[in-house]
Amino acid sequence: MTFQPSKQVYSGKIREVTLGSGDKAVTIGGRGVYAFHSFEGAMPNAPRIAMEVWDKDPSEDWAAAAKAPFGDVLADPAAWASKCVKEYGAEIIVVQTKSADPNGDNRAAADVAATVKKVVDSVDVPVIVWGVANHEKDTEVMKLVAESCAGKKVALSPVEEGDYKQIGAASLGYNQLVVASSPIDINLAKQLNILLGNLGVKAENLLIDPTTGGLGYGLEYTYSVMERAGQAALTQEDEKLQQPMIANVANETWKCKESNLSTEDAPELGDAAQRGILMEAVTAVDLMLAGADVVVMRHPEAIKLVRNYIAKMM
Amino acid sequence: MKLIGENLNIMSKKYGAALKAKEAKPLQELAIEQAKAGMDYVDLNIGPASKTGVDLMTWLVPVIEEVVDIPLALDTSNVKAIEAGLKACKKHRPLINSIMVRPERMEALLPLAAQYDAEFVGLLWGPEGMPRDENERGALCAELVFKATGEFGIKPERIFVDPIQTPVNVQQIQIMSVLEFMKMFADIAPGCRSTIGLSNVSNGPPDHLRPILNQVMLIILKRHGMYSAIVDTYDTMLHEIARDKHPGLEALVHKVEDGEAVDMTHLSDEERSFVKTAKVIMGQALYSDSWLEI
Repeated sequence: MTFQPSKQVYSGKIREVTLGSGDKAVTIGGRGVYAFHSFEGAMPNAPRIAMEVWDKDPSEDWAAAAKAPFGDVLADPAAWASKCVKEYGAEIIVVQTKSADPNGDNRAAADVAATVKKVVDSVDVPVIVWGVANHEKDTEVMKLVAESCAGKKVALSPVEEGDYKQIGAASLGYNQLVVASSPIDINLAKQLNILLGNLGVKAENLLIDPTTGGLGYGLEYTYSVMERAGQAALTQEDEKLQQPMIANVANETWKCKESNLSTEDAPELGDAAQRGILMEAVTAVDLMLAGADVVVMRHPEAIKLVRNYIAKMM
Repeated sequence: MKLIGENLNIMSKKYGAALKAKEAKPLQELAIEQAKAGMDYVDLNIGPASKTGVDLMTWLVPVIEEVVDIPLALDTSNVKAIEAGLKACKKHRPLINSIMVRPERMEALLPLAAQYDAEFVGLLWGPEGMPRDENERGALCAELVFKATGEFGIKPERIFVDPIQTPVNVQQIQIMSVLEFMKMFADIAPGCRSTIGLSNVSNGPPDHLRPILNQVMLIILKRHGMYSAIVDTYDTMLHEIARDKHPGLEALVHKVEDGEAVDMTHLSDEERSFVKTAKVIMGQALYSDSWLEI
């Protein structure tokens, strides 16, 4: 008798969602199997890497290794985004609206939205706008962004239980996408998708952000939630969870101690630049294996590693 | 199934205040209501009560025994208060709620259970906390029963093993482990009884949706041979289920548990809700607060 490998039985499929508009629009999802299980069925769209830009100069906060590739553009979000696309081949841009944070710069919503608009206009690839998870401020900013970027199919993120009505309504009014964000909790992720569905947000405009824990900082919790969501979507016909997922990777991995200590301060941890890059790349690869359809990344070297990985796996 | 009424509880606003003020009337009224509702035991949950426990339990037991003719469950982590309660109980054999499977708890409380020939809840909570699966539950159960019957000569029927109910929206997988444990229970602990803090299955979900979770969970546990449960006195439907009054709903839930396809088209709204709830409890569908609406 010949060896028969056990085969997973699938009964569902992740929906396809298209980010952006025009020639460079990006379609994600569509798979009817666990991530990279192409030996069991179709995985039509490879996971994508989105590159992040901040809407404020991050020089004070960032490790030297993270700043090096962008030295000349860090103070100009539009030029930064353009560099990501032209020089590093970014297929999606994420604008992190850090300047809006009421506990930080607290820049006026109109100014924040104007910067976002500049970024959107400076690139031809899809844009995801990532707020600061402050319900009032994000609502203000996202409403303006939804309006000024009409027709661009930008994704508004994070949409949480506390602001889903407001941001959801803005997305409906201008036909934008939303990223439903829940705090590493599978049941709350499902509930938020139900609520957004009740509001009228179409499944074709909805992504899930399960909240990212970086390597050493809760990665395994995020991994489990993504894995469980995938199981529900693909093997239990849970149609509320059949949405593509996004992981905001770089934002988590680059703020941890291990990515920021210099080689001199922590020689036992090895070369500082390599450390930060590997923390980012390993987190991204892990979460893609768990089912992330988009990983948000920062460092071109980390991106190169992950891109090679995807190419080999597909 | 035997039912243990959970409502006389220090955490309750009304009865907590009455306990602190030693105000007998509201507590007696509650006990009478519990007896009327068909509870087989009244649980007296006075909390940890580290300073006041002895005094409070000594006062409370005769106050309740004066008005109802059913056994009492003495629910506190204060060992001295348990002893005071055991001494005070005159009418029926009391139930100690509970003894954890931790050396210091067993050493302190098993001698009392033996001395007073009391029943006790053996909570499968070990030295490392909550058991992770059915095997750890089995190991804790075996340890407890061995010690109680062997070392202290306690009769198996005095032991109510509690495998620990977890909330459906936090640890659904642990519910499955409880059910697996129940399959082994009779072999591991012959002659012993079982109980569970049922309402914890709905700890977290919206208040108005708690009863149906409790009811469906009870149907499932009942099928797995659960002898008793600690329950909400005011959930009449739950009591009816415990008394075999809803065989139709039970059969539906069993179908879901057995993985049979259920045709929803000809079912009533209530039946549909029971099917949906059974699916989330059994992990066939993921829980969300809107589980009944989708």
